[in-house]
Amino acid sequence: MTVTTYQPGEIQGLIEIQASKCKGCDACLKFCPTNAIEGASGAVHSINKEKCLSCGQCLINCPFGAITETHSALKTVIEKLANKDVKVVGIIAPAVRVAIGEEFGLSAGELVTGKLYGAMNQAGFKIFDCNFAADLTIMEEGSEFIHRLHANVQEKSNAGALPQFTSCCPGWVRYLETNYPSLLPHLSTAKSPQQMAGTVAKTYGAKVYNMQPENIFTVAVMPCTSKKLEASRPEFNSAWKYHQDQGANVPSYQDVDAVLTTREMAQLLHLLDIDLANTAEFEGDSLFSEYTGAGTIFGTTGGVMEAALRTAHKVLTGEEMAKLEFEPVRGLAGVKAASVTLFDKELSQNVTLNVAVVHDMGNNVEPILRDVMAGISPYHFIEVMNCAGGCVNGGGQPIDGNGSSWIGNI
Amino acid sequence: MNNKKHVFAEDSFFISRRKFMAIGSAFIAVIAIPVGWFGNKIIKRNDYIKARSAGLYKDDTIAKLRVSHANPAVEKYYKEFGGQPLGHMSHELLHTNFVDRTKLNS
Repeated sequence: MTVTTYQPGEIQGLIEIQASKCKGCDACLKFCPTNAIEGASGAVHSINKEKCLSCGQCLINCPFGAITETHSALKTVIEKLANKDVKVVGIIAPAVRVAIGEEFGLSAGELVTGKLYGAMNQAGFKIFDCNFAADLTIMEEGSEFIHRLHANVQEKSNAGALPQFTSCCPGWVRYLETNYPSLLPHLSTAKSPQQMAGTVAKTYGAKVYNMQPENIFTVAVMPCTSKKLEASRPEFNSAWKYHQDQGANVPSYQDVDAVLTTREMAQLLHLLDIDLANTAEFEGDSLFSEYTGAGTIFGTTGGVMEAALRTAHKVLTGEEMAKLEFEPVRGLAGVKAASVTLFDKELSQNVTLNVAVVHDMGNNVEPILRDVMAGISPYHFIEVMNCAGGCVNGGGQPIDGNGSSWIGNI
Repeated sequence: MNNKKHVFAEDSFFISRRKFMAIGSAFIAVIAIPVGWFGNKIIKRNDYIKARSAGLYKDDTIAKLRVSHANPAVEKYYKEFGGQPLGHMSHELLHTNFVDRTKLNS
């Protein structure tokens, strides 16, 4: 029996430093949120996998390209695409559409949703926009927040813990699970959009596609390396459990079968000779490509909070927000705080919501967590994303020469 | 009794040949980077993050619908299959629980 931070079946040690390329320059240390990188300056470094969140920030910032991933589903996905008995569903995260163009010579930040749909359709994927699942997340996570808020205001017993933390970011979730287990009741129990998408594709989606769920192969395309670890969590086979309860009797399968990073999806398209930059736009092939502006901003810091506030406002007051852009949670400050006072119909009184948004987690989250532990946190709802800038700068995004994120060191 | 391991004092600054080479190459790698390289990179990298975020905010601005609760596909999902937010089906399919990773063994 040895102590570990992994459950059985989870991908361990996803991020690895290649000893032959590492110069011991220490650049990666600045980007690691958990101080998981060991080794003296000048000597070859290594990653302590028990501390590692698999966020990949070291990988995209290594000046020598010495850091790699140990798992890639690229080959499996190509095989599945060639198999006519299998429906391959591509789940596309928000931040992918503003970055993958860079791998095909387009400028940084160019929005290529239609072209990406077209290219993936050409490759044989069914289109499932993770933004649809992000909208679903807001319905669940937002309702959960309002439920906790009301229960706390009415001083009910068993009122859920406030502040509520967002639970979309797998690096952040693993960080809390590993370092602050006493704060886990504060995490929203809503699954991340990726996991909701996989589950819905194999339950409701099985009806929409008119397919047996075991013949649906879900591929999440993510700006994130940690999403690979999240998809491998053993509890994430809810679609299988659901179908077993309905009388099915097949071996267990995961809700998300494979995760490709933005880089790997670009690689796949290159291998299949599909030039995304010159692909005709495609609108999607089912209701799963319908999404709203609130879903799409999930990919940037502050986006989840802004999307949640838009819906919370409607639910609490009965009216839409007059101005949807909520500037206080936008931008690149490490911690962004805001207060919103609105009239709560159900309570018939004004309530003031204090919210906070944290990104570049390793440098910014500790003081906030200490306040929550001490019971003196002024906030009711806190969004946390591991990477500086949010998912747009995730560990799975295209690398600009020697890395793409030095924010936080300025 | 203490079980402290003692190290010879004269060894404390010892650097092996291999380590010396590694330090040397790291040093050379750093001086090989032209003046201004870091400053330029920092600005460029911030630009990447800002450009990508701007892309997403643009996607929001041009969207026909901009609030999650107005997504007709989400409404359809709940009507035809999921019931309602926080309902029984949501609890089963869309929510999860978390793991205290300080208490795991293999």
